[in-house]
Amino acid sequence: MGKKLEYLITFLVILSLNFGLPRMMPGDPFLYISGDDNDIPVEYSREQIEYYREYYGMDQPIYKQYGGYISDLARGDLGFSYTHREKVSRLIINRLPWTFLLVASSMLLSLFLGIGLGTYSAWKRNQWKDSLLYSLIMILSEIPAFLIGLALLVIFAAGLDWFPLSGAKTHFAVYASNWQHGMDIAKHAVLPVITLTIARTGGIYLMVRNSLATVLTKDFMRTARAKGLKEHRIRYVHALRNALLPLITRIAMQLGGLVGGAVLVENVFSYPGLGTLMTTAVAYRDYPLLQGIFLAIGTTVVLANLCADMLYQKADPRIGQGVQRK
Amino acid sequence: MRKFWASKVMFFMVTTLVFAGLFSGCSNPAEMGGEQQQSADSSPKVIRLEGGDYGLPQPYTTHSRGPGRYKVNLIFDKLVEKDESGYIPWLAESWEVSEDGKEYLFKLRENIQWHDGEAFTAEDVAFTLEYVKKFMPVVSSAQLLDESFVQEVEVKGEHDLIIRLGEPSPIFIEELFSISMIPKHIWQNVDEPEAFTGPESLVGTGPYQLTHYEQEHGSYRFEAYESFWGPDQKVDVIEFVPVSDPVLALHNGDIHLSDIPIDSLDRFWEDESYEVVEKPGVWGYRLRFNMERKPELQRRELRQAMAYAIHRQDLVERIARGGGIPGSPGILPPDHRWYNPDVNQYEYSTDEAMELLAKTSLESASLSFELLTGEDQEVRMGELLREQLADVGIEINLRSLDSQSRDQRIADAQYEMVLVGHGGWARDADYLRARFSSTDGDWVNSIPGYHHPQLKRMLEEQITMVNEEERKKTVMKIQELLAEDVPEIPLFMRTGYTVYNKEAYSGWMHVFDHHNMTHNKLSYLDY
Repeated sequence: MGKKLEYLITFLVILSLNFGLPRMMPGDPFLYISGDDNDIPVEYSREQIEYYREYYGMDQPIYKQYGGYISDLARGDLGFSYTHREKVSRLIINRLPWTFLLVASSMLLSLFLGIGLGTYSAWKRNQWKDSLLYSLIMILSEIPAFLIGLALLVIFAAGLDWFPLSGAKTHFAVYASNWQHGMDIAKHAVLPVITLTIARTGGIYLMVRNSLATVLTKDFMRTARAKGLKEHRIRYVHALRNALLPLITRIAMQLGGLVGGAVLVENVFSYPGLGTLMTTAVAYRDYPLLQGIFLAIGTTVVLANLCADMLYQKADPRIGQGVQRK
Repeated sequence: MRKFWASKVMFFMVTTLVFAGLFSGCSNPAEMGGEQQQSADSSPKVIRLEGGDYGLPQPYTTHSRGPGRYKVNLIFDKLVEKDESGYIPWLAESWEVSEDGKEYLFKLRENIQWHDGEAFTAEDVAFTLEYVKKFMPVVSSAQLLDESFVQEVEVKGEHDLIIRLGEPSPIFIEELFSISMIPKHIWQNVDEPEAFTGPESLVGTGPYQLTHYEQEHGSYRFEAYESFWGPDQKVDVIEFVPVSDPVLALHNGDIHLSDIPIDSLDRFWEDESYEVVEKPGVWGYRLRFNMERKPELQRRELRQAMAYAIHRQDLVERIARGGGIPGSPGILPPDHRWYNPDVNQYEYSTDEAMELLAKTSLESASLSFELLTGEDQEVRMGELLREQLADVGIEINLRSLDSQSRDQRIADAQYEMVLVGHGGWARDADYLRARFSSTDGDWVNSIPGYHHPQLKRMLEEQITMVNEEERKKTVMKIQELLAEDVPEIPLFMRTGYTVYNKEAYSGWMHVFDHHNMTHNKLSYLDY
């Protein structure tokens, strides 16, 4: 019960922040004085700005706007984007699968890689193989993701022509089969996914490596060996299982990034995700769109935490029935 | 020993996984985008351009920023169009203006059909002009929405109508260019134009029809409308696709035209199949003064001194890498059709600047100003300005904000000096009136604390002049006054280069006041 209330309060706070933060930024969504390079924004006179403020209800007192936001939300209405002239819910739903595809596949890949390499390193601790792997992965994960993306773009797309330069699919194409369609989407996703995977593997690798190294010194490891258990059972059941507990938290935290976590990579590959949508929404002060995207992010974070809580209870026998974590 | 093998296998598996992912995309060599192969005559002419989502190309749903409105113009027509030298008849075949300049008699072209087959008539024009007053489209003209400006629209026949204005206006035709004509038989029942997005919302009279639009990808496909009333379409299909890097995409043939940074031009100069075109300078940076907040800036000599001390050509070289032209102190840029080259140019001279500064007898302590800039390149520009002005003893404190915050400060007059860049410098010279004669607290365009009665009078006179020659003369004189008084300093106009693939299409043209050849529909027509 207490947990539920906690989540409810968290959610309400998120909603209020969603509403408040965008409006606290200086700037008016309908004021266009400067333009980006080559962009000729529509210039609105003061009357025209007033027209739009009234049209979108921004001339109302702030508490009324807040009330409207909450009651619209209760009806499942996320509002209408000022700049995109489209329902916020539709904008988000259209892009969500693409971001999800990128982030989820790169997370899976980096989990495999991170756990695999981390285990290997922990086992080879203080040998040259560990040092080499460690330095290599540290260097790779220190390079900003968009630079890796650019390098991949130049080598594998522009140079070798193995992969397309941009986008998430071939446009205006007619596919002979679903398989062909799927392959086209996969082909477009390869470079962005590799970029994100490289960026994320480092953290998981380090965590597994260190956490495993600690576990290996624990008493129960000696017990396991004394019991005469087989080496791979010790390694993957006794050691790794205990070492992976902190990883759950880490994954839960990364899940929060499912929605907006791929901004830079999406930009580099001109990939149709939510990240790029968020950048323009911030730049143009598109309040309803910002609220919608923040809500989507906030919801995933809360849900991910919920999952982590439940997973922890399953994975760690010390937590759960009758035992308080704090 | 076993330990070793287990780890080997793990390592191998992981590596295989990565590589499987890496190469899975390459297993299918069949090119899926290949259905658009083109040969000289038989198959349709298809050109591909850089996409990005700018909304459904309908007058009420296109984005207010970016090039969305030019896509609207492919589907919808206006009464007038633009070519290289000015406005040309389009849906209106001709018009006559009464002597007092208040009455326009338009004769519309006959035999024009909407994309759904209905006839286009004067009723549609009258309806559109009424409708835009009720629901403001994304691109709209403040004048046309003003009740006192368009007082009456009278339909005289199927193809004739009279528009009566409250007062004569030399820019009425330019204002008309902002309004896309929409069909009465469809829109008369639409009360929520922003939510009107079905196929009917895209019925226009224009040369192209939208056949594909995917919002999240920003991809569009336009196909020529067979029964278009006007000049033949030279391009049958226009496709807009997402682009990550324009240089690579153009080189790869993913797109057929793009603006290319100066540093990447070499490979295109050398290649026979590309044409490199310099763009007109109609997008520029201006340095604005807030004379109310800093009364020192009301001293003309101080502003003139700054004009001498700022090395505009140097800014062009160092900020735009040579891709620009210095701004004219007369404000209207060299690529404006009414540009006056015979104004004081303030050639860079620290001596002149110091001399003028000495005349102001302002103490050096009061020669300190905060300069507000946007981000990135504008910060570098601000730093150059600070160095250049420091050479003559003017101190600049830089402050950088994101552009929306900076714009808000301009609107609230919360700045001392501000650097701002935008397009539209080749529009009708009447924009000078908004910049230099308004004192009513609308600081979006105008200068707080600036009064110049003679200038104000002339700016207000030119907008009432129906005789174009007389008006042009006045605008020339206005530029002289502006150059003399330096109420703001246009720093430079960005030019840059457009590169296109000649083999794909070569019919591109610039219209008289715009920097992008893909934005006007005449580029795609046999005009």
